[in-house]
Amino acid sequence: MAYPRALNRLVEVLCRFPGIGPKTAQRLSFFLLDCSREEVVAIARAMVEAKDKLDYCQICGSLAESGFCSYCSDGGRDRSLLCVIQEPRDVLVIERTGQYRGLYHVLHGVLSPLDGIGPEELRFEQLERRIADNHINEVIIATNPNVEGDATAGYLARMLKPQGVRVTRIAFGLPVGGDLEYADDLTLSRALDGRRDM
Amino acid sequence: MESLFLKNFRNYLQQQVYFHPRVNIISGENGFGKTNLIEAVYYLSVTRSFRTSNDHELAGFPGRFFFIKGLFSKDEDKHLLQISYNENQLKVIIDNDRKKRFDHLCLFPVVVFSPDDLLIIREGPATRRRFINLHVSRLNQYYFQELRSYHRVLLQRNKLLKEKKNRRDLEKLLEPWDDSLIDHGCTVIRLRKEMIRLLAKEATPFFSRMTGQQEELSLEYIGSVDSEEDNADLQLLFRELLLKKREVEIRRQVTMVGPHLDDLSIIIDEKDSRKFSSQGQKRTAALALKIAEAKMLYKKNGKWPILLLDDVFSEFDNKRKERIIEFLSGIDSQCFLTSSIALDPFLMEMARNYKVFNVQRGVVRDEKDGDSC
Ligand SMILES: Nc1ncnc2c1ncn2[C@@H]1O[C@H](COP(=O)(O)OP(=O)(O)OP(=O)(O)O)[C@@H](O)[C@H]1O
Ligand SMILES: [Mg+2]
Ligand SMILES: [Zn+2]
Repeated sequence: MAYPRALNRLVEVLCRFPGIGPKTAQRLSFFLLDCSREEVVAIARAMVEAKDKLDYCQICGSLAESGFCSYCSDGGRDRSLLCVIQEPRDVLVIERTGQYRGLYHVLHGVLSPLDGIGPEELRFEQLERRIADNHINEVIIATNPNVEGDATAGYLARMLKPQGVRVTRIAFGLPVGGDLEYADDLTLSRALDGRRDM
Repeated sequence: MESLFLKNFRNYLQQQVYFHPRVNIISGENGFGKTNLIEAVYYLSVTRSFRTSNDHELAGFPGRFFFIKGLFSKDEDKHLLQISYNENQLKVIIDNDRKKRFDHLCLFPVVVFSPDDLLIIREGPATRRRFINLHVSRLNQYYFQELRSYHRVLLQRNKLLKEKKNRRDLEKLLEPWDDSLIDHGCTVIRLRKEMIRLLAKEATPFFSRMTGQQEELSLEYIGSVDSEEDNADLQLLFRELLLKKREVEIRRQVTMVGPHLDDLSIIIDEKDSRKFSSQGQKRTAALALKIAEAKMLYKKNGKWPILLLDDVFSEFDNKRKERIIEFLSGIDSQCFLTSSIALDPFLMEMARNYKVFNVQRGVVRDEKDGDSC
């Protein structure tokens, strides 16, 4: 089917979203065409605003609107406890359990030689410094329970233990090879409870 | 399986066949479509072929589609399985429910024995590892997961070994991957050994029976990390070997210890069958492995899988042919045998529990069932 050029371009752009194929992209495009101009502008503006205003927290690397994230700026949280996670979105997953009161450290990835990702590409150094400069008792490693997540946890444990900090790995009752993102709250609460020393 | 309907599958334009609940003998000349018929049965069960991984080869020339439909009965219930392929799109429907490919693997299990299975004996270790991996995965879902993890670790570790790093950094980077390699690797080895022991327990008596108690088959796992001790010691040994091979691994940039290098030794009368056995002995051993696999599925499910035996009679002497028939009439399994040679002299054994089909260039003719002879 030959679409007008502008429509083709829109479909093409929408296809770049994760999980969106040509069919969904088409549906979204027609939805946008049905919207009023104001609505479309509001949607576009929200995207640009999010991009402009959101950045990564200077301390922990999770999403933040102004230099520091809400967790790092929250005086009520336990500052001696760190949870190390893969991606900024994992913060929300752990928060959803309502059980965790410590702070976070986002690695922005995991070790994966196949993808060219080594320690330099991840926020390992920041973590080391954070632990050296602050009074931290325990680091809980909550990378995904797959091969790369395990290797990253192993590497971090070896790196951090000489600093005298307790390093634990969240105990997964999750399907092996799974994603933190897909764990339900109950499983995750249990996993946080039953973490084991590395 | 009660009936099969094919449309545009291989050399069948359109074909309906009603099967016997026990032994179905598919006879016909070379190239007439016997193997194609059991390939269709296999495809319904496994959603892939045992001859090719290219679905489009299965579509009859010059079409781009095929359709297979089978009626199965299981525990008093009947199930209709339909698979249609159209221009690279596969649609699997079981009783009106759309299913994903490979989703129903355990529903109607089959075991196939084809001439290519001789390669398990004749070829290099990779073919035997493939056989073991498929076999163990089928009986143990956990093994499949562990194997997948192991292979992923192996790929990552090999990539790391290829990176130009100074020795100290490399050692540090290797450490966590070594841990995972050992961890998943030991599980893989342990489960393989356990399954091979059970497999041998079934294969050995069948092999003896086939050879009139004249020859003995044994199976032995050949591991690059081998120890008679329990899991903990295997882990220690694995680590020791990794350290010992460190220099060579770094030089060759590849992982040189682990179950990805292991082999299954198939021994007939204390001689390695790969090197010393005759063609017929090898085929007997390969058949014994497949029958043992079926027997293990029987023990697991309480029911025999469907047996698909392609050209099982070729290269066997008359005694072995007789013993195969005798074995098949003694078990309560539905089986499909293809043969390009006349089997009449052997069928007397079977009482009435069979049906013979004659295939002629893509057309199946009901020839006769056991009652009429
Ligand atoms: N996609 C296809 N479309 C049409 N015909 C096909 C297709 N694939 C294979 N064939 C034909 O099917 C025939 C082979 O069938 P099959 O392998 O079942 O033979 P067979 O009866 O088992 O022979 P043998 O006794 O030699 O094993 C060949 O004639 C081949 O040309
Ligand atoms: Mg054939
Ligand atoms: Zn923060």
